[in-house]
Amino acid sequence: MSALVQTGRPTGGRASWATQTAEVCRRWTVDLVRQPWGLGVSVIQPVIWIVLFGNVFESIATVPGFGAGDYLTFLVPGILMMTVLYSGAWAGTGFIEDIRSGVMDRLLSSPVHRSSLVAGQLAQQLLMATVQGVIVLGIGWLAGARYDGGVLGLAVALVASLLLAAAFCSLSAAVALLARDQTALIGISTIIVLPATFLSTALMPVALLPDWVETVARYNPLTWATEIGRTAMSTDVDWGLVASRGALLTVLAAVVAAWSVQAMRTYQKSL
Amino acid sequence: MPTQLAVEATGLIKTYPGGRGRPDVRALDGLTLTVPAGTVHGLLGPNGAGKSTTTRVLTTLSRASAGDARVAGHDVVRHADQVRRSIGYVSQGTGADVLLTPRENLAMTARLRGASRSASLDRAGQLLDRFGLADAADRRTGVLSGGMRRKLDVALGLVDAPQVLFLDEPTTGLDPEARASMWAEIRRLAGEDSLTVVLTTHYLEEADRLADGLSIIDRGRVVAAGSPDELKAAFAGDTLTVDLVEPDAVLVRSVAARIAGLGDVVVHVEGPTGRLVARTPDGPAVVGPTIAALQAAGVRHGAVGVSRPTLDDVYLRHAGRSWTAAESAATSSGSPDASPDGSSDGSSPHDATGTVRVERSEVAR
Repeated sequence: MSALVQTGRPTGGRASWATQTAEVCRRWTVDLVRQPWGLGVSVIQPVIWIVLFGNVFESIATVPGFGAGDYLTFLVPGILMMTVLYSGAWAGTGFIEDIRSGVMDRLLSSPVHRSSLVAGQLAQQLLMATVQGVIVLGIGWLAGARYDGGVLGLAVALVASLLLAAAFCSLSAAVALLARDQTALIGISTIIVLPATFLSTALMPVALLPDWVETVARYNPLTWATEIGRTAMSTDVDWGLVASRGALLTVLAAVVAAWSVQAMRTYQKSL
Repeated sequence: MPTQLAVEATGLIKTYPGGRGRPDVRALDGLTLTVPAGTVHGLLGPNGAGKSTTTRVLTTLSRASAGDARVAGHDVVRHADQVRRSIGYVSQGTGADVLLTPRENLAMTARLRGASRSASLDRAGQLLDRFGLADAADRRTGVLSGGMRRKLDVALGLVDAPQVLFLDEPTTGLDPEARASMWAEIRRLAGEDSLTVVLTTHYLEEADRLADGLSIIDRGRVVAAGSPDELKAAFAGDTLTVDLVEPDAVLVRSVAARIAGLGDVVVHVEGPTGRLVARTPDGPAVVGPTIAALQAAGVRHGAVGVSRPTLDDVYLRHAGRSWTAAESAATSSGSPDASPDGSSDGSSPHDATGTVRVERSEVAR
């Protein structure tokens, strides 16, 4: 029996960064799949939005100055971006749960790269965002939206949604690791997410927004992502807009992701 | 063995910000500790003494404000990664993901530490067998009993064949049966040639039964160290205990004060019953005179007992306060052992003191 525990070192001490990140991602994916309620809600939410906003705001399309033809087709890219934003708000809750339960202590006292813990969880969030994005686009199509930009347009829109997701999930993770409190995280997320939705062009074309909202919306990452989605999914793609807004989102995602890795180190220093 | 000393810590100080203008909390106050390789070493102290903080510093989780520590020959700050490869750590909380199965938890841990997929499953299988978890291997960890989950936690600490295994309060919150079973596991681990186990506990009996060496910790310092027998042997004499019925504490004290050979007399009164506890160089010789004196004064009493010194007595002498008093002081003033996010072990003061009393009478038997 005594040989069993001490038979050499079965593992060699530490896996590569990629293996660790993949393993962390796999763990969160299995966790997610085993919580059918969370999974169900994240799929049902965009369905409700498309039906609700599609019907309530339908008449906007008849207002002079709306510009686009059909409100639903206009709405779907906005809902796509809103979906990843609202899901991303919860990204940090897993870290808080790990801190509370003791899993984080075990991981941090083992030879795991701190950045793998953050990157692996982000990778899982992006996988989920991709699945959600495909579902949103599918539901939109079933409801009557049409995507003139073809497969390329849809792909560009999805990539934009992933950049937005990366930025917001990282923000949620960083806040979670610094605040370490579920209530604070959800409170902060709610305070950011809801105004961000209405201070953007996700639901309303820029021409119909009040001046000050229009000004704010111009600096809102949700607007950047929505603009990319809308133009990429139209017949007349403005690639300049895709490039400039894409660059802004990429820089934002990189900066916030780096901050979330820093937040993991700050967390450990506070112990 | 790569090193003769598994743990070598000198002058560890750890302060946490007090918050809201309150002074800093000094969880470790110059703690010095050595643990020879291949032994089971107990860190014994009441809640809030600094045991967990010590463990967190030695496992590289927390960084000491001052002092040096080496674990398995590596400096915990400069070579934290080497330390992490050489240790297993079982914290007070659960280390396992409750949504994963025990097998998945073990395999994931092995994968993170560099095992191939098949080697990680082999390793998981070995540990599941060894800890008697094979039947529960593929159920979700969250539905398992407390005792099984604690065994899984220990198994997770052993995945990578560590040189030093840290167990932070491995039996707190377990029922007596699960505790006995965990003790058996730890004793089996103690038989492993090159494994060092560092165990924190606030159960005196646990320390007495499991540890080869003990460090008694109080208020962030080691106040006594040695084997349990050495610590008790250095403490000559016996403890005399008399159960009292409807006692008049003042009368009992005055009677006891006149009995030759009794010292450190304490009279507890709780409702209709009470207890006299005193120290004496020769227990059996003092029983007769004590009974006679009490009866002469009209004090009604129940059982009279004599016991060898317990670790509680050792603690009382070195820490200058009783175990129970230290426990309730720690819990009422906010324990420095609690991690900054507030997750302490969650046992209420009544739990802790109650258990200590029970343990104590068992040891005394």
